[in-house]
Amino acid sequence: MKRTMTLNLTETEMTVLERMCEEKGLSKTALVRQALRLYKSVDERLARGEKVFVESADKAEKTELMVL
Amino acid sequence: MKQIIATVPLFDLGRGAFCDASLFQGIDLDTLRSIEADWTPIFDAAAPENPPEDAHWEWAAKALQALQNPLSYELFGIEADARTQGMMLVVKGGPKCFSRHPEHPRAPLIYVDFLATAPWNRPGLTATPTYKGVGRLLFMTAVSLSIEEEFAGRIGLHSLPGAEAFYRNRLNMTDMGKDDAYQNLRYFELSTTQARQLIAARP
Repeated sequence: MKRTMTLNLTETEMTVLERMCEEKGLSKTALVRQALRLYKSVDERLARGEKVFVESADKAEKTELMVL
Repeated sequence: MKQIIATVPLFDLGRGAFCDASLFQGIDLDTLRSIEADWTPIFDAAAPENPPEDAHWEWAAKALQALQNPLSYELFGIEADARTQGMMLVVKGGPKCFSRHPEHPRAPLIYVDFLATAPWNRPGLTATPTYKGVGRLLFMTAVSLSIEEEFAGRIGLHSLPGAEAFYRNRLNMTDMGKDDAYQNLRYFELSTTQARQLIAARP
């Protein structure tokens, strides 16, 4: 069963959302759903004490991802 | 929880005809018992010099993982003759679900984490396999899920060496080479275009 909600976004947030939907070929619902899954996935790893890193393309830099 | 979502055709190699099988979403204790009782003894009896590559997969642990995180995981199974003929665990979101394909870099996709057919359906394990098409049916289920999630049929997966030819030649996925960040397994993707072609070619 699916439930409906109203999402209040600023003009900037909505612009980013719409741009990403266009780029990814997703509806706003599908994009928010993916964002939620990714956020939860990262948050769970951090909660388990794991570290999440982002590596530069040339592998010269590795940054630890922090989530608020 | 397990629920039947479709009746699907499996080719019975013994009879030379299609028969009905049940496609399930989710998993229950009966399925886990079926895998433990029916699959494990055949894996254990396989030649030690050539063990099945997936014999160590623990489906009970995978089921728990999926049940604990329904937001990101889905389990599917196929049953016929009151036995589990194949199982698949897919991921719908998270770091594995970004495309690496040049056709659509970073586009979302369904990642097939584990896909296995019952040992009696594998030509490598038995001289007379029972059913043909279990792996393809499960894979097409992942493609359907990808479309339902608005991912246009895109699929990504890391293949065990013994399954590479299946993904490369039978499903026409793009072989993107060995992934040194994932046990050096080869990474395959089904692009949007390849998904359309695969659906069009579906028997």
